[in-house]
Amino acid sequence: MPTVVACFKWVVDEAYIRRSAGGALDFSSVDYKIGEYDRNAIEEAVRLRDAGGGGSVIGVTLGPPESAKGVKDALSRGMDQAIFISDASFKDLEPSQTAAILAEIIRARIPQFDLVTCGEGSSDLYAQQVGPRLAELLSIPCVCFVQKLALEGGKLRAERRVEDGVEVVEAPLPALVTVLPDINTPRIPGVKDTLMAGKKPATIVKREELSGSFEGSLKTAAMTASSMERTGEKLAADAAGIARFVDSLRKSGVIQ
Amino acid sequence: MAGIWIVAETREQALELLGTGSLLAPDMGATLTAVVSKGSASPEECISRGADEVLMLAELAPGEPFGAHLPVIEKEARAASPDVILFSATARGKETAARLAARRGAGLCSACTAISFDKASNAVVMERIAYGGAATQKLASSARPVLITVPPRSFEPAGALDGRQGKTRELPAPPPSAVKIVERKPKEKVAKDITEARVIVCAGRGFDKKEDLALARQLADALGGELGATRPLTEEVHWLPEDLCIGLSGIQVKPELYVGLGVSGQVQHMTGVRGAKIVCAVNRDENAPIFALSDFGIVGNLYEVVPKIIEELKK
Repeated sequence: MPTVVACFKWVVDEAYIRRSAGGALDFSSVDYKIGEYDRNAIEEAVRLRDAGGGGSVIGVTLGPPESAKGVKDALSRGMDQAIFISDASFKDLEPSQTAAILAEIIRARIPQFDLVTCGEGSSDLYAQQVGPRLAELLSIPCVCFVQKLALEGGKLRAERRVEDGVEVVEAPLPALVTVLPDINTPRIPGVKDTLMAGKKPATIVKREELSGSFEGSLKTAAMTASSMERTGEKLAADAAGIARFVDSLRKSGVIQ
Repeated sequence: MAGIWIVAETREQALELLGTGSLLAPDMGATLTAVVSKGSASPEECISRGADEVLMLAELAPGEPFGAHLPVIEKEARAASPDVILFSATARGKETAARLAARRGAGLCSACTAISFDKASNAVVMERIAYGGAATQKLASSARPVLITVPPRSFEPAGALDGRQGKTRELPAPPPSAVKIVERKPKEKVAKDITEARVIVCAGRGFDKKEDLALARQLADALGGELGATRPLTEEVHWLPEDLCIGLSGIQVKPELYVGLGVSGQVQHMTGVRGAKIVCAVNRDENAPIFALSDFGIVGNLYEVVPKIIEELKK
């Protein structure tokens, strides 16, 4: 009956980021979401709990107070309880800071666990560092980019995808894994799940309750909008449109 | 004296990372050290391509993963305290770099696409992609060491120079790792490398079933190009091999022509084609984001439109 810690992040939905005239990022109409890959991390934790015939899944996240919405969203995805470290300063943290905060809270509040699951990267920065950094800070084995996972007899067996194929690995528990999107299909919470989520325990931890200083070491000097926009001429699917499409291809010189 | 380290598993990585390191070394007044696996670039080759020192990683016992080298690399890095440590942003490189950064309490710029040294602020300045490709993040580090991972084929490999001298040292075998490889499954079928293709026809979720991809192939053939795919096709339904997955988490392509068929145009995917000269699309949803990111496109059912395009191309 495993205890699994699932880490997740409440992030800006990048589909709603606009580019303002000066090339700055426009977040004015953005929505937020649980990171895409973190949904797989939550689902895998829940799946392993259920496969293990019990146990529990504890979600851990951190962010500014607004991220409380994400805690409820995550709880509707099958986990048993959540810990949310909330502080207005927890915006735009570096992966090293995020990992250090997660490590302190896991050590302090979850003394016994079998596995930590993380997504392969966050949907916003996608630095892919928090998982392996957290494993080091917790001094536990780490297996990244896992596409298949099972727990058995105090160890994990995982298929890890690398450039030249797949490595099937084993590691003693407790351990940390980062998971790939195709490890599972995350559930879409229903109305009942959302209602139940409100009744599950969510612990809010304040910055003052932590002892670390969590200094960063990199400085974000600029964050500018990428310019990927093109002329975007839309043609109709009729004979004239198709003729113009092929003509445009020929004129551009990319085909003979 | 300042130092730049590169850590490489393969020859290709070693050459590219030496090339990357050499972009910083003159401005930083730094020496280059290559930490390389046996069987990648030879010490002589590393030296001829810019390394001042080569540290040879010990041969790993069967079942030991690349990450097993970490304690040895950490110990050496602690002693020599290099300013910059470069890894390739491969699965093993990314994991090892992040773990080393945590052990050294250091910053790490993941998937760095541009790099320079600013003498005035004594800072390493790096760029990377964020928000799924919607933004470019510029990072600066005056703290040392700073770790950097570089996506393969982002920088020019170092060229060979005559008459260079350098030292070589063998590193000790690492202690056994907690993680053991019990089986290796090499890639069964390596798909054609489309990173250098001149024309790419990319299939997206607008296709109803696997057999229908024949239509995309026909268009690719008519245009003298190759077939690519979006992530859902390679990762969710597995209709095409993952090597053909274009986007932030797949391959980056820079063809003369990219044609997206039934591709919605999510930013993570479109980031992979930003180097394309011409981008065009066929999609039935006129509000699909791909239209704004295309030079031109047809709003319509690809099953009807694509055969007509092929027909028109024959004229």
